Amino acid sequence: MNLTQDQLAQKVGVRRETIVFLEQGKYNPSLNLAHNIAKIFDVSIDKLFLFD
Amino acid sequence: MTLKKYQKIRLIITIIIAAIFSQSISMNNFFIPIVTLLVSTLILIYLRKKVTEVMVDERDKEIGGKSALLAIQIYSWLAVIIMFLMYSLKNINPFYEAVALTLAFSTCILMLLYALIFRYYNKIKMTDKKLAYTTLVLVLFVVMAILSLRVFSGEDNWVCSDGQWVKHGQPDYPAPQIECK
Repeated sequence: MNLTQDQLAQKVGVRRETIVFLEQGKYNPSLNLAHNIAKIFDVSIDKLFLFD
Repeated sequence: MTLKKYQKIRLIITIIIAAIFSQSISMNNFFIPIVTLLVSTLILIYLRKKVTEVMVDERDKEIGGKSALLAIQIYSWLAVIIMFLMYSLKNINPFYEAVALTLAFSTCILMLLYALIFRYYNKIKMTDKKLAYTTLVLVLFVVMAILSLRVFSGEDNWVCSDGQWVKHGQPDYPAPQIECK
């Protein structure tokens, strides 16, 4: 699935900057946002996010 | 409407508001700024609904919440310190007392508002925020209008006339010690 940061942000209802911060590991998403992103990529949350 | 266009319009409206505010204060008219603020707020609320992009997301709210809390704490401490300093110097210049009282009242109102809003969000679902925002905006306008009239009305003070300080109304402080020119 080829998605730009902007497209992913629009799909999950956040700003592009938030996706950037997520990718850089500088922001911990809410459970709702993590679930929505995992649903887009059709994977489980723990495959996308590593929680310290 | 795109977010960039909305931000440009908001900047222009802010500049216009600033110009109207400064002009109104020099003209001693304090109803124009209140009306201007009300109208511009309504315009911005209307335009914001037309923006298709996401303007504020969960990260903005989280950071905004932390920033607001810290800002309230810093402002409250500074306001209290400056208030006591101003009040202690009121004999030098009577206007210092008005500044001190304004700081005191504004800090109390800020703390009260914070407590009320926190209590509200703590108990009620986020989906009811439309009513909360409308109520909050109305309360803020009423408070600002009352404060503006009370502080800037020019009633109950000393007026310089023919080289002498003359009472205007019933000021509750003695005549200023500075020279009347």
